[in-house]
Amino acid sequence: MKRVAWLLVVALCGWAWSERQALGDFPGILAAYSAKEYCSCRFVMGFTPEYCGAYVKQWLPLSHLQESTLQRQITAEGLGQRAQARWQGPRAGCRLLP
Amino acid sequence: MLKGLLLFLCMTTAQAEPWPDAHWQRAPDTLDWQAVDAYAFPSRTGAGRDGVRTDALLIVRDGRIVHERYAAPTTASTAHLTWSVSKSVLATVLGVAYGQGRFHLQDPLARFYPAMAAHPDVRMVDLLHWASGLQWQEDYEFAPLKSSVVAMLYTRGRSDMAAYTASHEAAAPAGQQFVYSSGDSNLLAAGLRGMLGAAQYPDYPWQALFTPLGIDSAVWERDAAGTFVGSSYLYLTARDLARIGLLMLRDGRWHGRQLLPADWVAFNRTPFANARREPGEPSPGGHWWLNQPDADGQRPWPSAPAGTYAALGHWGQALYVVPEQNLVIVRYADDRDASYRHDALLKRVLAALAGAGE
Repeated sequence: MKRVAWLLVVALCGWAWSERQALGDFPGILAAYSAKEYCSCRFVMGFTPEYCGAYVKQWLPLSHLQESTLQRQITAEGLGQRAQARWQGPRAGCRLLP
Repeated sequence: MLKGLLLFLCMTTAQAEPWPDAHWQRAPDTLDWQAVDAYAFPSRTGAGRDGVRTDALLIVRDGRIVHERYAAPTTASTAHLTWSVSKSVLATVLGVAYGQGRFHLQDPLARFYPAMAAHPDVRMVDLLHWASGLQWQEDYEFAPLKSSVVAMLYTRGRSDMAAYTASHEAAAPAGQQFVYSSGDSNLLAAGLRGMLGAAQYPDYPWQALFTPLGIDSAVWERDAAGTFVGSSYLYLTARDLARIGLLMLRDGRWHGRQLLPADWVAFNRTPFANARREPGEPSPGGHWWLNQPDADGQRPWPSAPAGTYAALGHWGQALYVVPEQNLVIVRYADDRDASYRHDALLKRVLAALAGAGE
């Protein structure tokens, strides 16, 4: 039994190593997706904060979503990561900030 | 006598070909759209996001609006996200550049985009067929861990999406197999910049396509490198997307002007010979999707004529062109599951139109 558990741990570690790049990127997806698509929902499509909040909602919850209406900038936080998107202009819409 | 009559008929038909100016003409509302609306706009109850969730439906026949309906908060003036419909519109912008002699289909992309020097065999035509051969995993929220498109849009690729794609290894020789890739579309967007130069590029989609068509709602987001996100981030009103459909329907003609070469539209509508058929799925043409019959004569959208083609995007966005019926259909949506069926909508629209003579 113990041997099987060890084999599983080793296999899991092997998988995690082979997928280390994707696993490292994963926590950043939620905040970046939410910031970008919420920004576009609000400032390109012109929908309300309430609608856009529901529009970007995923199965993992955000810990923080803030709209700075004057600068047309969105800050989103989730899974310990933070992302910001800002409206760039009438033809250029929104973009994630570096 | 007969000759004269035919000539007269031809002339009146030519004069009667309506084009939208600032506004679209409307046909007299005599058709019954109940079955279409019942399918496209079921009541959205509760907080769930399941089922068919149409935001906009616009049906244009013979250049006139025959039906138009929106679901709040989307309206006729909403520039709606088109997701991957953007790819086919990018191809249309490229068609203008093609007509201006800026590139040939056989040109290697590396000629216009030096970051592709490691993949010198990838030609414009291969990218338009989504057949660059570059390693790619196109999946959205269902498999975010392994998805190249999620990484491109939101994490390691987001600052320069074309460079991110170009950094992938070749998984197959260029032009040999169809692998749907948003990366291929963004490589085309980077190639366009190389053809034009940095000064001309940001305005080119407007100058080449949107302004001549009278499109004033377009928003096209760019990555941090300044490249249009040709794969995903074009926003248009439903009526403005229908203008692209009408241009395609009329083989690249807009009023008296051949804006796109007719052979470009023919290329868009020609199936990619090396694509493997997936049952029930439309065939890739030149960055458009075709209702091409398979070897057994089965069409992916059996209710629609074989000439039907479309630009299709995530969450149910669609622009359908049905040349046999002089028909353009725009559908915007927020479908979060797979309930919606292209054929189900096309079937009901075609049935409603067929009711015209009854």
